[in-house]
Amino acid sequence: MKLFSEKIDNKVDVKKPESAPVTLKCGGCGKRMIADIVHAGDSVCPYCGHLFRQPAYKRIEAIVDSGTFIEIEAEAVSKDPIEFPGYKTKIASEQSKSKLSEGVIIGKATIKGVRTALAVMDSYFMMGSMGTVVGEKIVIITEFATLNRLPLVIFCASGGARMQEGIHSLLQMSRTTIALARHSAEKLLHINVLTHPTTGGVTASFAMQGDITIGEPKALIGFAGPRVIQQTTSEKLPEGFQMAESLLENGLIDKIVERKDMRNTLADLLALHSKADAPQVKKSVIKGVVDDVFKRNKED
Amino acid sequence: MKTLLIANRGEIAVRIIRTCKKLGLKTVAVYAENDENSLHTRLADISVCIGPRQAEKSYLNIESILAAAKVYNVDLIHPGVGFLSESAAFRHACEEEGISFIGPCAESMELLGDKQKARETMIANGFPVVPGSSGAVDSVRDAVAVAKEIGFPLMLKASKGGGGKGIRIIHDAKELEKEFPLVRREAEMAFGDKSIYIEAYLENTRHIEVQILADEHGNTLHLGTRECTLQRKNQKLLEEAPATNVDAAVLEDMQNKAVKIAQCVGYKNAGTVEFLLTQTGKFYFMEMNTRIQVEHPITENIYGIDLIKAQIHVALSHKLNARQEQLAPKGHAIECRINAEDVMASFRPSPGIIDCMTIPGGNGVRVDTGYAAHDEISPYYDSMVMKVVCMGDDRDEAIRMSIGALEELKIDGISHNADFAKHMLQDGDFVSGNVHTKWIEQVFLDRYLRGQS
Repeated sequence: MKLFSEKIDNKVDVKKPESAPVTLKCGGCGKRMIADIVHAGDSVCPYCGHLFRQPAYKRIEAIVDSGTFIEIEAEAVSKDPIEFPGYKTKIASEQSKSKLSEGVIIGKATIKGVRTALAVMDSYFMMGSMGTVVGEKIVIITEFATLNRLPLVIFCASGGARMQEGIHSLLQMSRTTIALARHSAEKLLHINVLTHPTTGGVTASFAMQGDITIGEPKALIGFAGPRVIQQTTSEKLPEGFQMAESLLENGLIDKIVERKDMRNTLADLLALHSKADAPQVKKSVIKGVVDDVFKRNKED
Repeated sequence: MKTLLIANRGEIAVRIIRTCKKLGLKTVAVYAENDENSLHTRLADISVCIGPRQAEKSYLNIESILAAAKVYNVDLIHPGVGFLSESAAFRHACEEEGISFIGPCAESMELLGDKQKARETMIANGFPVVPGSSGAVDSVRDAVAVAKEIGFPLMLKASKGGGGKGIRIIHDAKELEKEFPLVRREAEMAFGDKSIYIEAYLENTRHIEVQILADEHGNTLHLGTRECTLQRKNQKLLEEAPATNVDAAVLEDMQNKAVKIAQCVGYKNAGTVEFLLTQTGKFYFMEMNTRIQVEHPITENIYGIDLIKAQIHVALSHKLNARQEQLAPKGHAIECRINAEDVMASFRPSPGIIDCMTIPGGNGVRVDTGYAAHDEISPYYDSMVMKVVCMGDDRDEAIRMSIGALEELKIDGISHNADFAKHMLQDGDFVSGNVHTKWIEQVFLDRYLRGQS
């Protein structure tokens, strides 16, 4: 019995070529998984619990109140200040691969109703390395937080300063440090979440400046990497070297938080430190190159 | 070419893939890690692992399934039976991704998934429901009042329950007072909602259902009745189409009411309206299942149609072109569900590896299974191994064919219920249609066990 007269389209589509999906290998159990499926959830290996590096926008989605994130300075892209060979092409290819303009995303949002400034680094863009744009964006969001008297949450993930921008990258260490010192001078809360990996110039600057420092389980956190240290010192490194767990033991971080608990933990910390009647900041304390940015990004 | 993802496993996934192959559609199977080499992943054009064996991390993991669907540019998703098939949330999520979910609209799923809301809707529209409370009952006092009206025994039912779960039978007022708060607490724990309602507990009833098929253009057809009275602990074991030993006028009335019920809730795609039939020929609405049923092959057999194909047509917004009077069932079909369970040990599940298997065949014999020899019946999912479906010119033929098929069937490595089913088919009560939904537990099981000792 034919119930329908219309046909079901089964013509082979020649225009749509098949491309194999991008896969990731789990660092814990070695299983290969399709990247999009891994990142559809909280980027934790469903088999062994190993944490994959989580893309910045996914992280934001998991942390903030749905629909409240407003990104600023999304279009900022790196120039090539020292004309490093192949850097321009590298940037272009990283942008198309990661669909990000740079290694950090900044903006404001609410987390369980508490307004906060947010910076989330993305290690899928040039390993989250810090060049001029990453540094500038950290400075902008910090000054934005200071101006608007907002707490600041930074998720760090970085291989360090970006060598392709030479000394310009290293300069960002002091710029971010100074900006955060001003934020701190206004008695505003700064929470750092150190994710795998947080190393190099980022560790040596803003990653260690938080009032509260949270680590993700098993995250590698250090300045020079373990291989470099082993080769330099010719000593066998202790087990768990530079792991979040050993940093916790040694007092460099305050708490290790599982990804599934991150939103609740941040919300609790922010709520504990929020004061409805906080005094307004005097504008005169902030001067310099970022003045224009305030005007552009001042909250209404 | 359309690509269809099957968000399920086992027999129903294989069943859906077969129709897709027939229609020339590309198929994407999703599987949990331990199903990597199962039949449905072997048969599909593309297979994607969506997580570990725990269903909530794989076959119930909406995010993973949709990520897989996006990776392979899937146009349609068939949810199969169980798992996410009745999840309005899953349907919503598919819609957000621009993928057609093969099933009714979310509103129908939500309304009919809430057993008490469905009941209220039926009452409001004048359809017969089992005597009981008109809505949720919140206090013992109200419960006692309802009990006075309908008498004992009665059933306390969780509003959000279903599939035979969240039901308590109460025999007197004292028991009612004692059990009422307990059942509410249990309902809250099991279904996240403590509201319960009351229905009279009718004895010696039969379970008869009507297959519905509706398109998006306002056409609603029925595809006759199925009798699913043979159940053990509310799990169907043997079904036949059409229902037998029921007055033709009653069946006719039931089918017409089923169509009206589907129309009244704006139902689209394939669905099933379940009725309870009493010995006096009265029937009551039980629930409407918003998905394809396990026992759909017996309807396919007697109507000569492919219900999965029809579902895909409806999902593509095609128009039903047949009129009710053109649809005429032919013959009689019986389905026996073969489960991996040890009948002699209180039907304890019997997972394991199938060493070898002889599958019956021949004209009119259809076997739907998700397993081949050397495959493993996993303890993590449901224990159904296959469905043996036989169609003859009449019921006697179908019974004899089923008995023959079950005698041909050999499965080594696991215990199963084929012999149990065969004895049911040979039982005088079954042959004469003298059965009810508790018949297996109250009558036949003893008879069978005595014969075995």
